[in-house]
Amino acid sequence: MNYPVWDLTTFGGGFLIALIAVVHVLVSHFAVGGGAYLVMLEKQAYKNENAGLLDYVKKHSKFFLLVTMVFGGLTGVGIWWTIALLNPAATSSLIHIFVFGWAAEWVFFVGEIVALFIYFYTFGRMDRKNHMLIGWLYFFCAWMSLFLINGIIDFMLTPGAWIENQNFWSGFFNPTFWPSLVFRTGLSLVLCGVFGFVTAAFLKDEKLRRSVMRTCALWVAAPFALMLLGGWWYLAALPEAQKAMIMGKSPELGVYMQTLLWFLPILFFASMIMALRLPQGFKKGFCFAIVAIALVYFGAFEFVREGARRPFIVYDHMYSNQVYVADLPAVQQAGFLASAKWVEHKEVTDDNLIAVGRDLFKLQCSACHSVGGVLNNIRPLVAKYDSVFGMDAQLDGLGKLNTYMPPFMGTRAERWALANYIVHGPDLRIVREITPQQSVHEAAGH
Amino acid sequence: MNPAALIPTPDAIPVPWGWFYVLLIVTFLLHILVMNAMLGGGIITLISALRGGQDNIMLGKEFSYKWPYTVAFAVNMGVAPLLFVQVLYGQFIYSSSILMAVWWLSIIGLLILAYYAVYLFDFKFEALGGLRILVIEFAVVIMLIIAFFFSNNMTLMVQPEKWLAYFRDGSGTLLNLSDPTLFPRYFHMVVGAVAVAGLYLALIGHFRFTKSKVDRDALITKGLKYFTYATGIQIVLGLIFLVTLPKNIMMLFMGGSGYGTLLLLLGLVLGIVAFWFGSRNQLAKASISTLVLLVVMILIRDLVRTAYLEPYFSMSDLAVRPEYSPLIFFLVVFVAGLAMIAYMLKLAFSCRKEVTK
Repeated sequence: MNYPVWDLTTFGGGFLIALIAVVHVLVSHFAVGGGAYLVMLEKQAYKNENAGLLDYVKKHSKFFLLVTMVFGGLTGVGIWWTIALLNPAATSSLIHIFVFGWAAEWVFFVGEIVALFIYFYTFGRMDRKNHMLIGWLYFFCAWMSLFLINGIIDFMLTPGAWIENQNFWSGFFNPTFWPSLVFRTGLSLVLCGVFGFVTAAFLKDEKLRRSVMRTCALWVAAPFALMLLGGWWYLAALPEAQKAMIMGKSPELGVYMQTLLWFLPILFFASMIMALRLPQGFKKGFCFAIVAIALVYFGAFEFVREGARRPFIVYDHMYSNQVYVADLPAVQQAGFLASAKWVEHKEVTDDNLIAVGRDLFKLQCSACHSVGGVLNNIRPLVAKYDSVFGMDAQLDGLGKLNTYMPPFMGTRAERWALANYIVHGPDLRIVREITPQQSVHEAAGH
Repeated sequence: MNPAALIPTPDAIPVPWGWFYVLLIVTFLLHILVMNAMLGGGIITLISALRGGQDNIMLGKEFSYKWPYTVAFAVNMGVAPLLFVQVLYGQFIYSSSILMAVWWLSIIGLLILAYYAVYLFDFKFEALGGLRILVIEFAVVIMLIIAFFFSNNMTLMVQPEKWLAYFRDGSGTLLNLSDPTLFPRYFHMVVGAVAVAGLYLALIGHFRFTKSKVDRDALITKGLKYFTYATGIQIVLGLIFLVTLPKNIMMLFMGGSGYGTLLLLLGLVLGIVAFWFGSRNQLAKASISTLVLLVVMILIRDLVRTAYLEPYFSMSDLAVRPEYSPLIFFLVVFVAGLAMIAYMLKLAFSCRKEVTK
């Protein structure tokens, strides 16, 4: 309402953010746990004077640098750029509320990069104790990044007391902060094992390969319990409304929840297979399958977490379509067109029904609905409505009958325009016979 | 339609704007220094590779070790000013970014490609052989494109009157090509990067931070030469940029505002001084005068932005909802983080003498 909306149609409905976020979270959590993995293996190599293992750690640290620092670092910045393009109002809100949280996170980001560069480039040249210290400092900085971002992400789901007192710390240490931190810490350690398989599978020395494989399987298995505990606590800490949303209120979240529950044991057992004595050729391929399984599992989790806060982007504070909850009464009173900044028409007339409806769709619906795309495609959802009346009645029910969507925001005439656009507009129609439209004035009388 | 009506309502800030202004200027200076080393260093390496000869190849080899660091820190140091600019000018930069969303978002993908090319150049320097030039060209061209998108957004964000184009095309493919300041501004940034990178290379030679077998004296001489030539061009480009600015803004620097006029005079004098020292091969003096010059240029840049936005917005308009404890938390983290980084660097440099590569 306050900001322009990027006209994405097919790639709308949050597709871009889903794409970039899912790959980023996998790599970024690996970036956290990977620090501990490297140093622990390094320590083991020193203790047993195992030159082969030490060489593996060094090679893995190069892989780690190229995956986490380049791809992980830039996709992380990429998420920020994407949310600023797709939901600038929410981004602005998070930036302004938590500016010093972000700024502190930046300090740890600097520390992380410095530590990782030193760790990688002084491998074998720095005295052992100091080198491991650098590795631990890397892990500390990376985990602190997780700590800080975790607070802000969970604030969006459960802002807790912040809604009343608007206090930074209330928002940061919100009701799901600690469970989510445990969950994500566990997950980040599990992922070290997952990515460890990839580098281990290509080791030439069979004895070393087998031993590293078993180590990686252990890295998946041991923190798995921590992750499950965190996940269970996370669910238990959710307020009723958010829990209900996950448990079936929202129509398409069920699929993601099912995927999550299926892929959790699959990830575990697939990882345990890697500990078995199997041909290297198989493992070289299967290690990538495990990364893919982890991606699906964690992607499904992120979808569920994001879905749980419907119909909000920041719970009880801002709706998914960038309208502040507090502004809603005024918008309903004055009308959406009168309240919005980036609209071409300021009022509905008989001649601009479709154009106004298009603007309203863009500003109120496109945040979650693509047009002919992968995510929440609007076309099949509205295909059954062949009359503007039916559509209008459905829009009227939003936020009342199905609470996973925000209410329609605006006047009756505006709602009528949106219904007309959905039923008769050129963009959403599949194949439908044109029925005569009713005029705005008649509609307003209904 | 009145463009002022398009400007979104800004959110409140937790401490007075001056804090964010100082943080923005300081972190932007850090970003510019590293970004210049990255972009300018790439350009110098490309020119060297095209010219050929042992000295030039060695310069490229030396820079191949440094390039990945510069990319990592250019991004890293870019995060902070981008954060503070969103705090102070979010309603402007979010809007303009959406108008050019396709280009703006493409920066992320482009940068990932350039970054991997830079690592390829570093890790496979010898193996690449003749393909080296292609890899450098690839990375440098991408960086130049990214810089161009930045210049577009930085000019678009301060001109809400241009935002009306959104109603013709909301697909996120707009650029600000019709703006007369766009190209002077862009080249002023790019050539400036070459100048600073010249100094950067010379300083690497001077402080023996070399890793390759590059001749240190040759590196210093070459670096200073690039610096001097680029600074000379820079003075001319800067003046062209000045006269392409809207008249009311240009006049701020020519008597209209005491502060603006003083900044421009300082900038000109420092530019000439830096050029002079560069041409005399006086590295230390050239470096110090350039550092001060960069601060002056950043202040000028900011004054231009303020002047563009003057009809619409001033930073003091931002509502303040005071909350100081997060600021204190940040400052503590900042100081502790600096200490930790200093300690890590100390450890790193203490084992430098054992370098065998």
